[in-house]
Amino acid sequence: MTPWLRRQRALADYTLASLARRKGKNIALVAVYAIVVFVLASAMFFAASLRLETSAVLRDAPEVTVQKITMGRQDLIDGAVADEIGKIRGVTSAKPRLWGYYYDRIVGANYTVMVPDDPEMIPEPGSVIVGEGIPRARGFKWSGAPLFLSRYEGDLKRFNVARAFESDSALMTSDLMLMNETDFRDFFEIPAGLYTDVVATVRNPNEVATIVEKGSNALPQMRFVTRSDIERTYQKLFDWREGLLAALAAAGILAFVIFAAEKASGLSAEEMREIGILKAVGWDTRDVIAMKLWEGGLVSLGAFLLGTVTAFAHVFFFGAPLFAPILKGWAVIYPDFALAPHVDGLELLTLALLTIVPYIAATLVPIWRVASGDPDAVMR
Amino acid sequence: MITLTSVTKLYNEGRPNEVQALKGIDLEIARDAITVLKGPSGSGKTTLLSIVACMARPTTGRVTLDGEVVSGLPERFLTELRRTTFGFVFQRFNLIRGLSVIENVMLPAAPLGGDHATVRERALERLAALDLADKATMPVEFLSGGETQRAAIARALINDAPIVIADEPTANLDTELTMRFLEIVRALRAEGKTVIMTSHDPRIWDAEGVDAVVEMRDGAIFGEFA
Repeated sequence: MTPWLRRQRALADYTLASLARRKGKNIALVAVYAIVVFVLASAMFFAASLRLETSAVLRDAPEVTVQKITMGRQDLIDGAVADEIGKIRGVTSAKPRLWGYYYDRIVGANYTVMVPDDPEMIPEPGSVIVGEGIPRARGFKWSGAPLFLSRYEGDLKRFNVARAFESDSALMTSDLMLMNETDFRDFFEIPAGLYTDVVATVRNPNEVATIVEKGSNALPQMRFVTRSDIERTYQKLFDWREGLLAALAAAGILAFVIFAAEKASGLSAEEMREIGILKAVGWDTRDVIAMKLWEGGLVSLGAFLLGTVTAFAHVFFFGAPLFAPILKGWAVIYPDFALAPHVDGLELLTLALLTIVPYIAATLVPIWRVASGDPDAVMR
Repeated sequence: MITLTSVTKLYNEGRPNEVQALKGIDLEIARDAITVLKGPSGSGKTTLLSIVACMARPTTGRVTLDGEVVSGLPERFLTELRRTTFGFVFQRFNLIRGLSVIENVMLPAAPLGGDHATVRERALERLAALDLADKATMPVEFLSGGETQRAAIARALINDAPIVIADEPTANLDTELTMRFLEIVRALRAEGKTVIMTSHDPRIWDAEGVDAVVEMRDGAIFGEFA
């Protein structure tokens, strides 16, 4: 071992012994610090993972969605529009879709009702396929229980639940209900030939902008929404929610910084005396600062690791029970799903820098001021 | 030889509470001797000792150690001198509470980067020589007055400093412990170390083995006795 390493070891030994002397105070400090990191890291892990999941789901979504706009609002679209869109060069297929929302007054939840495109997913007449959130919201105790839907006072429609989606896709399908076209038109009283919107797939994703331009020129009353628009909206939504939590945590950080600065700026007489003793027995300013760096490093790195690991377990093992309502959305039906562990290295590094560096800086400056004086002055 | 020439020391210089602790001190302190600075409280003994031990700089004047001027040295050189040349026993011993006796004794050796096991062994030897080996792992706040003093002496000796400085070492000790301390000082002297102490305790300056006594009053030297 080189003298430098031996010196570092001796300083670290002293720091550990010194920290152990004020066990209660230091544990409280690390705990407060770790809670701040925990809140920030939880928000970060959760949002990063949601963004990843959303991107994965949207990867298979159609490139372009066409909506009819009447008086600034989305209106039902004629199925013939799909044929016109299909004629645009570069469009592989264009299909009209039927989907809408249903407000379930019994549980106060909104369901997304769709007619599936995939023939295998089309349920029998009088049956529906539901997301995992709907039986949960309704409190179904056994499989095979019929689903009664009421559109208005005195109305009751009975559907059999053919099956429920797995929770792997719950972020997108939790509140989803699939019907066949006849049941859908009957349930929502939609005339034949009219649809909710039209979706188009494009051979070459680079041509999406050109196709949207051509389509907009040919059908000026239609709005063209691209997959990247939707993805961007989702990303912004999750960014916004993460930001909300980060803003809450920022208040925590601010409180912590004030706490750290207060602790650091007002070195107690005991600490000043200790620095004086160390200097008198032959430590120089660099030794004292190196020792305090060890102390700050051990406290902040320890708290950072504790906060991050707890946040990781909180988000990925326990499903973020503390922050899920904010991060997943305000709804009656919360998706029930396990997030795929995903850690953004750059974000984690930023978090580390934002939490470790200010703490060390806040504690180091006053130490340097005290330690750079003569030991005799320090001790008076 | 440690030589002080026209040394003055001002505290809070330029402020309303300015105090002149030393007024033009000229003094020679012999190596390989026991020197006692005596005088009442506020006479400047501790300030003079701090300047000799490179813990404070004189406001004016010059201090030389074995012919080398040390009063104008930058901080890192003064630190080097404190590490290698001086061992300091403070008035209230100034051990760090919460740490064990051996951790306190090993403190001056930490920045030198010596081998941990060797330093620990040396610390245990110093403690054994002062009858403290069995208290090595005890937190210092549980030591008696005499044990605390001996722990402080062991710490002053850990880097094998040739000059041991002690500020009012017997201020809080009874006669038996004072006699014990004087035995230790004589033993150090026999090992060839220079000992410089401050005291207003006649048991110290009248003790056998003391080579020189310097009397101070109001920041000035009042008399020197061999």
